[in-house]
This record gives sequence, C-alpha cells and structure tokens, in this order.
Amino acid sequence: MTPGHPGFLTIAEAGRLIAAKKLSPVELTRATLQRIQAVDPKLNSYLLVTEKQALSAARAAERAILSGRKGPLLGIPVAYKDIYETAGVRTTAHSRLLIDNVPKQDAEVVRRLHEAGTVMLGKLATHEFAIGGPAFDLPWPPARNPWDTRCFTGGSSSGSGAAVAAGLALGATGSDTGGSIRLPAAYCGIAGLKPTPGLVSRRGVIPLAPSLDTAGPMAWTAQDCAILLDAMAGHDGADPASVAAPKPTYARFLDAPLKGLRVGVLRRFYEHDVAASPEVLQMMTRATETLKQLGCRVDEASLPSVDDYNAVGRIIISAEAYAMHEAMLKARLSEYSRVFRVRVLAGALIRAADYIAAQRQRTDLIIATEAAFKKFDVLISSPTASPAPLLSEQRPDDGFARPFLTTVANVAAVPSLVVCGGFTTTGMPLGLEIIGPAWSEATILRVGHQFEQATGTRARRPEL
Amino acid sequence: MSVPPVTPVPSMSPAEMQILVSRAGLVLNPGQVADLVLAWRQLAGLISRVPHDRKLVDDMAITFRLAPPANAGSDPRSVPAIPAKAPGKAPRTARAKTRAVTGPAKRVAGRTLVKTKSAKRAKPTR
Repeated sequence: MTPGHPGFLTIAEAGRLIAAKKLSPVELTRATLQRIQAVDPKLNSYLLVTEKQALSAARAAERAILSGRKGPLLGIPVAYKDIYETAGVRTTAHSRLLIDNVPKQDAEVVRRLHEAGTVMLGKLATHEFAIGGPAFDLPWPPARNPWDTRCFTGGSSSGSGAAVAAGLALGATGSDTGGSIRLPAAYCGIAGLKPTPGLVSRRGVIPLAPSLDTAGPMAWTAQDCAILLDAMAGHDGADPASVAAPKPTYARFLDAPLKGLRVGVLRRFYEHDVAASPEVLQMMTRATETLKQLGCRVDEASLPSVDDYNAVGRIIISAEAYAMHEAMLKARLSEYSRVFRVRVLAGALIRAADYIAAQRQRTDLIIATEAAFKKFDVLISSPTASPAPLLSEQRPDDGFARPFLTTVANVAAVPSLVVCGGFTTTGMPLGLEIIGPAWSEATILRVGHQFEQATGTRARRPEL
Repeated sequence: MSVPPVTPVPSMSPAEMQILVSRAGLVLNPGQVADLVLAWRQLAGLISRVPHDRKLVDDMAITFRLAPPANAGSDPRSVPAIPAKAPGKAPRTARAKTRAVTGPAKRVAGRTLVKTKSAKRAKPTR
C-alpha cells in the first residue's frame, strides 16, 4: 500500500479497504477534501470543489456498503475535467463564455461513474475548451505541476493530471483529441488512457473536434485506469460514434503473463522525428529492457513520420474546432483567451478541399498503422520529447510549430496508454506510451500494469 | 511514407489576409490579425504536407469504420500472448496447439477498410 495520506491510496487499495470496512468513504472523502484545501492553492487544479455534495455522496456510499452493496468504485473520490457536464453543477470548460453554465443532465460517463458509487469532489482545470491553454487571461489560472510548480502540467486535462498526482483525487476523467489525456499523464507522472473511438461515450462532454475526440480515465496506476474504464466503457445509443459490443472487464486479467508479447519500439519517433532529450532516450532504453525481462519479444517498429500524423491531426482539429465555435467567436471573440484564438481562428481559413484531403490522408495513416500491428501486439514510444517544461515556456502556436508525439494514436484511431516510465535526475516524471490496435485496451493496460510493477515508479509521490 | 516534399509557404500580405478574414466574416483588431498570420503560416505548412492529388475513386466515404470488437478484453485468451519464438521451425502440431491456447490467429482489431492505391503510399518507407 502507498504510504502517507489517504489521498495517496490507489483506487484498488482504497476499494479493498472500503470493502473490508477498514476505511470509511466519509473519512476518505473528508481527508481528500482537507488535502485539496491545503494543497490546491499551489496547484490550481480545481475550478470548483463540491464539498457538500461530496460528503453527501460519501455518506450514501457508506450506507450502501453497510447494506451489503459491493463494487470497486463504491465510495471512491473522483473529479471531472470541467468539460464533462454535471447536472446542477457549473461546467465552464475553463472559459469565461460558460461561466454561468449549469447543465441539467450528467454526461454519460458521469452518470456511469455515479452509478458505480463514486464520490464527485469537484470540477477540474483544463485548457479553455480543451485547447486554449495554458492561458493567464481567463477567470481561473492554469494548473501547475505538483512535481515542480513552476512547470507545465501538460494539457488539456491539466487539472486531472495535477490533482491525481498530488493526491487530490483518486481518479479523474480526461478527454483526448491530440494528446490531452496522455500529455498531462506523462508530465505529472500518472497513468492515462485514450481509448479506441466508440468505446467510451462522449455524450455530455463538450466537444473540441468530434472526429478525433475521445473520453478516458486518468489515475495513479494502469490498474486504476482499468477499474475506471470498466465503469466508463459501454454502448450509448445517444452517441452516434458509440460502438455496441459486449462489455469487457479490463481490470480482471492485468496479471496474465506477458511472455511472448510482440513489442515494437517506435525509436525513430523520439530519436529522429521529434528529437527527445537524453533523459528520455535513457528512459526508453530502460523501458525496453524491462519489457524484455517481462518476457516480451522486443524489436524496432516503423510507422509514417510523426509530422504526417500531426499535419492531419492539426488540420482536422483546427477546422472542426473553428466550426464548433464559429458563432460564439463572431459574437464574443474578446472573451476567449488569446491562446484559444491563436489555435482556433486559423481554422476559419482552411478550405473544404484541405479538410477533406486531411480526412482522406487519415484513412491512409490508419491503414499504415494497422499494418504495423500485423508484426506487433503493441508499440511503445515516448509521449513527450522531454520532462515537463516551464509553464512560462509554453507558446500559443504549440501543436503547429512543434508536433505532438501523442497525436499519432488519435489520427490512427487506436488506443494508447501512458504510464510513468521513470524520473529524471531532478525528480521530474517521464512517460512511457503503449499503443495497441483498436479495441486492445485490455492488452495495453496489462502491459502498463506489469511495467509499473516491475519498475516500482508508483512508490514515489510529489512533495508539496 | 511517400509524402510530397513540403512546399514553401507563400507569404501573405496584410491586405490578402484581410480579404480572407473578411470572407470568413470575422472582425479582428490589428493584434488579432497578427496572431492569425502567425498561426496561419504554421497551418499552411501543415496543409502543404497532405497529398491533394488523389484518384477520383480513391475514397468512397471520406471516413473510416472500425470493425466491432470481438470480446476484446473479456478473456485473457483473446489478448495476444504469443509464446516466445522457439529455435528452429515449430512442428505443425505445436503451432496448432498454440492457436488453441491463444485464441484465433485472426486479429480482433481488423478494420473494415478498403485498401486503395493511395493507401499504398502511406506505407512506411523507413
């Protein structure tokens, strides 16, 4: 068990203690709320803390346990990226434009997690509408990295990454259009899963670019992501992209042996396409060795260049995000952050022919990526070129000027998990990205879980 | 991947940008126009990376569709776990036994995508 504050328990640990009646959901929720009050002023990870509702939900969970109900998420405190609609609770997308927005209904994922017995602690910081950040010209400041508060959390699920790493929530939700779950997971040293499109409903999640948007879990461990995904995944007839399929159980087979699993290393991605720092290169070498020790067959893999995926991803995101926001941009332009305007306004100038060319090229990239999975069961890479940079170094045109390694999985429509791959000499976390073919969430979670067990990175928490 | 070489992004005068902005129905101040010029130059560079010279019959839908999952994740036998390669050629019976343990050899994640001529262009070249 992770030593220290109850907020540092994993979901799996807390779930076992709660089920054994050794930990009260009310005590756990109260302790986590106290930690938020004490620590979050340094991190700005929460936009809204729903203390009364949280304690009420925790009491309900406690009553349910005493009446014999069971479940791995019963009484577990979680928080939502503030683009997930929550009935009766303000949902702002970290934007001045939605500062008074109180939805009438829960997002489908919120409903499912509520049904599983989780306790909502509040709403988490994001980049404005999941793209415009980090920004300092909004009603709330950007979240800060708990490992070094001068540093960027990654985004756009910035509050989710910071809160989970700092023990201010045991689990959180994120959304990922070009890397928004996996970048904060990497920079904040947690686990984050971008699922296959259609696995997790996006109903009630404020969209950025609907043909690339996905919703997924973020937690301290891959195992916790699996537990959350078990509740979050499933068909939703109201999301046109949702896929009707038998409901899988991701958390059940995490310990099945990896012996013989074929792992492809996308070395050119981080050595050539996006030149990574020496510490990232060393981490990837160590990660490769760890996977070999776990019995995997590791070889070098090749895909089209990161720039090709990134070009397609950025064109689609810019065009679709502009289309989603056009009416509001024309009416209330000055209320958006400058970063949002820089990243989205250019979408107004994209020709339909360019957008369609990007969509057609996406299909080719999907086929090319799928071909790699004839030789490999999973692919690994670094999700970032470096550990978390300084918040002050972030540029409004990031994503155009500097390609994201993570956008590959969005464009290729495949699931991708980031787990903590290790730490730099200065104690900053580095991520390892594990990519699988469509619907292979169980496999990549299994690899991530056993990698975490083998490396022992989960014993270390940020000091605040 | 055989992508055409990146063509230089043509510079755009403030007057040309103003025409595009007006056509888009936007009213921007000079600072916002300057930001847009910066972003557009980057985006135009990305657009130039994407092939536009496709055959008419290359694509029927301008979209993709994933094959539905076949119980993926519900059972460890559906999770790829191919035994480590044994030295020499495995006897036919051993391979058959392996398939029985690890599930069908066909991948669960196959897509209902039609390969086109342009898809061949997307193959890794490195």
